[in-house]
Amino acid sequence: MAGMDVEMRGNAIDEMLKKKRDLNPLPEPETLDDLVQGLKIIFQDNEINVEEVNEYMSKYKTNAREWYKYAKFDHHRYTRNLVDQGNGKFNLIVLCWGEGQGSGIHSHSDSHCFMKVLDGTLDETMYSWPSDSEDERELQKTETHSYGKDSVAYINDSMGLHRVENSSHTNTAVSLHLYSPPFDMVECFDQRTGHRKKVRVTFYSKFGQRTPFGCTSVETLEPENN
Amino acid sequence: MMYEDDVPPENRVDLAYSGLDLFPEHLSEKADRIQSLHLNNNRILVLPRAVSLFQELRHLDISANGLTHVSGELTHLPNLRTFIAKNNLLEDGALPKELGRCLSLQVLNLSGNGFMEFPEQIEGMAGLRALYFGANRLRTVPSEIKHMSRLEILYLGGNQISSLPLEVGSLSSLMSLVLCDNRLESIPPHLARLRNLRSLSLHNNRIAALPSEIIALRNLTELSLRGNPLVVNFVRDLSYDPPTLLELAGRGVKNSGIPYGEGDVPPNLYRYLSLARKCPNPKCTGVYFDARVKQIKFFCNIYA
Repeated sequence: MAGMDVEMRGNAIDEMLKKKRDLNPLPEPETLDDLVQGLKIIFQDNEINVEEVNEYMSKYKTNAREWYKYAKFDHHRYTRNLVDQGNGKFNLIVLCWGEGQGSGIHSHSDSHCFMKVLDGTLDETMYSWPSDSEDERELQKTETHSYGKDSVAYINDSMGLHRVENSSHTNTAVSLHLYSPPFDMVECFDQRTGHRKKVRVTFYSKFGQRTPFGCTSVETLEPENN
Repeated sequence: MMYEDDVPPENRVDLAYSGLDLFPEHLSEKADRIQSLHLNNNRILVLPRAVSLFQELRHLDISANGLTHVSGELTHLPNLRTFIAKNNLLEDGALPKELGRCLSLQVLNLSGNGFMEFPEQIEGMAGLRALYFGANRLRTVPSEIKHMSRLEILYLGGNQISSLPLEVGSLSSLMSLVLCDNRLESIPPHLARLRNLRSLSLHNNRIAALPSEIIALRNLTELSLRGNPLVVNFVRDLSYDPPTLLELAGRGVKNSGIPYGEGDVPPNLYRYLSLARKCPNPKCTGVYFDARVKQIKFFCNIYA
């Protein structure tokens, strides 16, 4: 592939993927398990076609019975519940948002991030990266979006930072997130000053089992900068 | 749902999204086995007296039905732990007067309705552990809330609340307090007495400063403050509109206690002098008319 410019290379990969899929079509994601299996196939390749993943995740129609065991809510903050580790290529996580719960403003560790809403509605506010200078400046809002059931959103660091929240005071929300490559640290940003801080990503539950973090002095959870 | 873990699946009845126009009274034949009943997202406009037939009922969800009235027979359910009636058309007076007699009730969810006043019956419910009153039209919280001594979760987000009674600080069991999307200008320092508070949601209000006592809350790990006009550097940002000569003269007369009667000054000045307001700073005995400097915790014409 050396010597080809970026666009030609992209097109060549898309062609290759198309040929591959025509020979071995992905299973229709009728259940969450189908979706996980299909995603594992997609992510066997080193190159990812964002459109393809987006489309594939959109095809799965949310069914609460299938993800119910991962939907563990907490009264005090949103939770991250690990579903699958994608053979090391991605993390698939169910996030549970109680009424009024939201995240701080964060980046995505140079990874691809897909978010599919499984229940309720999630609002996204995007911000530009702060400048590199030492000045304390408020982060600039760029776009806002609202995502309903079954919709899929995508973000990576080149697009900016974002905050995700459940603005509803009456309904909870549940979302399915795919991060590739998987990461365990994010940067969190203060809206007023632009200051950033590295924060470890933790799981409230793994594979449907509640994890005991927060109980020992070693594993304390960093609060959201909200 | 989360709360019904205490009920085996065979004792749960799920009739959500079933196009029901009426409360399914016929189910009462199996009443001795029905402990959890989901009736959300139907068209049941009234929760009728027949509900009392379901004596084993622990959890009832009748959300999103266009419900306008809740029958008093609800309080005849001796085991009722959870009552969820969110996203309905309930208004002041829709709840039974005797709701407080429902001693078994632990979780009450009335979010997404049209209440303008905090129902009196709820104030006395000392056994309630969680109260969800989001997205209604509440403007105040009664001081009688202090009687809800077992309250662990208080959700008041999305109302029109402009101030909190200091009695909220008496809710010693409170772990989660949600006040986002309201019109709060301040929060009482008495909240610092909430030793068990783990999360406090204050985003999208009109709060200019937090009482410093709040840092005493050792268990508070989640705090949301965005969307408030929190003053970062009030000394630098202080803007000052100088008072008029009229104001200064008025202050002089009042502060020095110069005696005057109706015939001593023109009627318009006599009226003006009667408009003098006492400075809210308890340490200041001065008055002001229109101009004052509002600092974070106090405003005072002496320090202007």
